[in-house]
Amino acid sequence: MAATPVSVAPAPDPQEAFLNVEGVRKYFGGVKALDGVSFSLVKGEAHALVGENGAGKSTLIKILSGVYPYDAGDIFLGGAAYKPANPHEAKESGIQVVHQEFNLLDHLSIAENISIERLPKTRYGLLDKAEMNRRAREALDAIGLSDIDVRSPVSSLGIAHRQLVEIARALQSKSQILILDEPTATLTERETKRLFEIVENIKAEGVTIVFVSHHLDEVFALCDRVTVFRNGKTIATDQIADMTPEKVVQRMVGRHLEAQMTDATKEQCYGEVALKVVDMCTAANSKDKGISFDLRYGEILGIAGLVGAGRTEILRGIFGIDPIRSGSVYRDGKEVRFKGPKDAIVSGIGFVTEDRKDEGLILDMPIAANVSLVNLMEVATSGIIQFAAENKQAREGGARLKLKYGKTADPASSLSGGNQQKVVLAKWLARNPKVLLLDEPTRGVDVGAKAEIYSILKDLAREGVALLVVSSEMPELMTLADRILVLAEHEVQGELQRNEFSEENILKLAYGQHQ
Amino acid sequence: MTTQTSGDVAQEPRRVTLRSVLNNAGIGLALLALILFFAVFTEHFLTPNNITNILTQITINLILAVGMTFVILIGGIDLSVGSVMAFAAVVAGKAITLPGFGPVEAIALAIVAATLIGVLCGMFNGVISAYWSLPSFIITLGMLNIARGAALHVSDAQTIYSFPLAFEDFGSAMIYGVPVVFMVAVVLVLIAWFILNFTVFGRLLYGIGNNEEAVRLAGHSVYWYKVAAFTICGLTAGIAAVVYMARLNISSPIAGIGFELNAIAAVIIGGTSLSGGRGSVIGTLLGAFIIGVLANGLILIGLSDFMRQMITGVVIIIAVVLDYYRAKYTAS
Repeated sequence: MAATPVSVAPAPDPQEAFLNVEGVRKYFGGVKALDGVSFSLVKGEAHALVGENGAGKSTLIKILSGVYPYDAGDIFLGGAAYKPANPHEAKESGIQVVHQEFNLLDHLSIAENISIERLPKTRYGLLDKAEMNRRAREALDAIGLSDIDVRSPVSSLGIAHRQLVEIARALQSKSQILILDEPTATLTERETKRLFEIVENIKAEGVTIVFVSHHLDEVFALCDRVTVFRNGKTIATDQIADMTPEKVVQRMVGRHLEAQMTDATKEQCYGEVALKVVDMCTAANSKDKGISFDLRYGEILGIAGLVGAGRTEILRGIFGIDPIRSGSVYRDGKEVRFKGPKDAIVSGIGFVTEDRKDEGLILDMPIAANVSLVNLMEVATSGIIQFAAENKQAREGGARLKLKYGKTADPASSLSGGNQQKVVLAKWLARNPKVLLLDEPTRGVDVGAKAEIYSILKDLAREGVALLVVSSEMPELMTLADRILVLAEHEVQGELQRNEFSEENILKLAYGQHQ
Repeated sequence: MTTQTSGDVAQEPRRVTLRSVLNNAGIGLALLALILFFAVFTEHFLTPNNITNILTQITINLILAVGMTFVILIGGIDLSVGSVMAFAAVVAGKAITLPGFGPVEAIALAIVAATLIGVLCGMFNGVISAYWSLPSFIITLGMLNIARGAALHVSDAQTIYSFPLAFEDFGSAMIYGVPVVFMVAVVLVLIAWFILNFTVFGRLLYGIGNNEEAVRLAGHSVYWYKVAAFTICGLTAGIAAVVYMARLNISSPIAGIGFELNAIAAVIIGGTSLSGGRGSVIGTLLGAFIIGVLANGLILIGLSDFMRQMITGVVIIIAVVLDYYRAKYTAS
């Protein structure tokens, strides 16, 4: 069974667009994920999609690959309307995606993985292993992996080869369009080069490549055209030949946001160093060079960088969740080595985690129980919870943070995203932390609540709390932080003072475009 | 979500129990309907003798199910309680029949032996599964075999009997037709209810079942809480062993086969979610009653024991399907 494209293709004209995306919109509840996305693909081109984290690239890919339906706009594939109901339909139409995270079955053989969507059968309905291995052989040969035995399990392969097996699998089904989502994130330079050679070959055979990457140098090395996303919209599509990396960065940022230097003139007087990190390497960082910085009482230090730059890992390392491979952490000048979150909390550190649902809140439990979670012993006598004290704590925390809620006994899941985040904050503030680590403090929070959270955090700093804020939203960091460290690939690329704050400066460092 | 801003002063402080009562209302109604059905369609169902019978029959399952509730609330399972009960009973049987002790000392020794065996087995389950984050299903399946083998080994596969008379008296004692052993079970339910709803420990067990990571990041030692839950489950298996010995006046190494499944059934029918974090021990009490009332009533109505077993199975499946919808509606 060969895949037959559903489209009734007109006479192939290489210059004519055969995939047209026009004004596509997508909402998740009230949140706009895509707010008017338009671009087109020409047969046989390599087309890059770039944009900040959360600009809408991944959502678009999920729509094209049939994971999500779209709410408005049109997509035409080969002249016919394209609205895949599920990933299977998308594949039937010849659109294949190699996802950022692997979708391989580790314990099965390479051949089984490559054929998993369409396993060949013998006349008797049994698995036709010979045919399966032959197809896999063919698929691997096609991308130049003739030295690999298709019968060996995927778990025996390195990460780069797994990526290539995914590509082989995608190509096996006669794709017209191959979407590569951050394919080089886990590859070394040499492996990346190999991958690019293979992609060039695929392209030469007439397959259209969509390439999503944070690495502009790769985009410029591989692609013919580039479409820039910003805030769920496509800004423009250009020939790579007409562009420079600087211009692309400018497009990604837009001119819409001059840094909000509201209180840049504020007299800064910080206290002693609250937290000192020296050459810290987390387990996720395979380099020898670690991260170093000082954080003073009353200061807000921002950490910027792209997804995968190692920002969250720093916070988790400091808080004792993940082990630190090397380097040291000093708290009030004394070296500390936290065995777990408990030690960190005892030393006065709080950690507002990135993921409310998985790490921050117990959604089904009452607001009061969530607020008291870190501080249960304070509202209990001899292990018995004093409900009056617990409710008082929740009400006071709620009042301080302008929490909008019905009763403290309502489950946390009844609150809006912004108010849920305030509950997470209230939980930590109940403990009066001296140092507060925050990971994406306003993710999924509406604009009004965002402003409130910012003013709470600034008040905390004024009261002398040391804050370390990781965020993917540059306006957020520029509003909040006194200084910003920019990370790329587990290394500090640079430090920006308030007067140097601009999205362009941050992005240049984040993309490794040194001045 | 109402937009009242932090003004509620007087409110009921115990949301968890209030919610569990609401959740249990459905189970309570089902139980009531069953009782009415059997009262109408059989002659002897609501007679004092039969009620005493039912209470006696459900006692051991109820005791085991109380401990099982703790383990299921944290998202675990304990398949070993039936075997652990037999092991504890055999060791306690050896202790109670040791020569040279007066009846009081012998009984005290037996109680200590049974609870100690239960606690140790439960602690073993907890330590192994929590330390290495292994599925408790597998670990307790291992313990099921270990404890059963140990029971057979210690007793040389022989039933132990001739216990002190005072012990037998305790096993068959009634107050106003209510078996004293059933009262023991109810006291255990109340203690468990108090622990789960009013203590820091209980709160964190619910927390672990709902979101282990959030509890860990809040600085609590998830490991010890898990070990404690399994230890409590082992303890109730030890207590069940004592009650079993007092009721039957024997210790058999092949006692309690399949009891773990009945205990799990009581917990699940009682509305506690198998994935943890949601449920209550009051529900477990009602669940144990539903199983007991069904067993008794269906036989009174003239169905065979095989039919009874089939119907109990259907009830378990209905309970889980209902739980699915309950979880779905509370989530949205």
